Amino acid sequence: MKQTILTLLIIFILLSVSCVVDDNCRKDRYVKMGVSFYKKTYNPITNKYTISKNTIDSLTVRGLNSLNMRVDSILYDNQKAISEIDIPLNKFATVSKFEIKFNQNTDTITILHTNFDQYLSLECGCVKAFSIDTVLTSNHNDSLKITNHNVNTTNADHLQIYKTY
Amino acid sequence: MLILPMQIIYKYIKHISSLFLCLAVFSVQAQEKKDAKMPEIKWWNGFTIQTDVVSLVSSAMNKGETYSMESGLQVDLKHKYYPIVEIGFAGANKLTTNNAGFKTNGLFGRIGVDFNLIKQKKDIIPTNNLFLLGLRFGMSSFKYDITNVTITDDYWHGSETLSYNNQIATKTWYELVAGVQVEVLKNIFMGWTMRKRNIIGKDPIGEVFPWYIPGFGINTSSNWGFNYTLGYKF
Repeated sequence: MKQTILTLLIIFILLSVSCVVDDNCRKDRYVKMGVSFYKKTYNPITNKYTISKNTIDSLTVRGLNSLNMRVDSILYDNQKAISEIDIPLNKFATVSKFEIKFNQNTDTITILHTNFDQYLSLECGCVKAFSIDTVLTSNHNDSLKITNHNVNTTNADHLQIYKTY
Repeated sequence: MLILPMQIIYKYIKHISSLFLCLAVFSVQAQEKKDAKMPEIKWWNGFTIQTDVVSLVSSAMNKGETYSMESGLQVDLKHKYYPIVEIGFAGANKLTTNNAGFKTNGLFGRIGVDFNLIKQKKDIIPTNNLFLLGLRFGMSSFKYDITNVTITDDYWHGSETLSYNNQIATKTWYELVAGVQVEVLKNIFMGWTMRKRNIIGKDPIGEVFPWYIPGFGINTSSNWGFNYTLGYKF
């Protein structure tokens, strides 16, 4: 009886020692805003617009800073056949501007947002989550629809950009 | 979508299995009541003061990252029911690889009851060796600091360092306990217990929460604990 207790004791002490705390972050730390493109096509027979995903032949996306200067790195560089993008909002400002080049037309989207600190864990630290207040576009032919105001770690579609043909 | 229901099912299985454990305890109790011919065992059979050795050893090995010490007062009722109060002090001083820090210390308490599953035979002198199954309810109220949490923006550039000092938390949990206790010398008891701890309640998403809870350990929804106690019976 005593021997079994002793063996069990040794096993458990070894087990408890071998459990090393894992320091690595295993959560998704990317918080990005999802933007998707749609086209509105007018159908003269039914007198209605049909909406479908708009696949852009060539797309270039880059950020513009507060002085409207281009940010060094390009987010999407002449990307072919694309209908949705993920863009990073500025964590330390409440305005994020992007220059989006659809084929030959260049459009500027300005996103006004509120930033929140979201604590994940000691290992992962904090991320910034955002709440989209307003989205402005320089091209008035396009219409915009904010489908989800909250930008956080759950990947979602936040903004839809419509182009009428 | 398939993973989520599986997690829920798994959770239920966990809870059901703990229920079975409790039922097993009670059914054994019920069986004992049937053969009532054994001589009357008095209700009060003294109390044991015990202290845990494992927490002291692991505190020394963790070099201050986590530390804990605890003692208990166990009452012997009818050699069958063992109400117990455990009180301790624990803390943590943790630095992660990305230099975020966590610091806490505080008192904790647990209250519960163990049931002895060893039957006392009437013709033999009652043994003082126990096989115990029981439950605990634990609680700790403590302050903690989280320091040097950094947020960086690789695209737009910039970084920010955040600290959350003097955060207050009260945490509760329950434990399922199994253990053995042996009288090695007159009135001196040695024993070990294994316990499964489950936290009650969830931390709200996005808000700061403690990395370590005194008396519970590292803050995960459940964990295992092991105690090795030395006790003296009065």
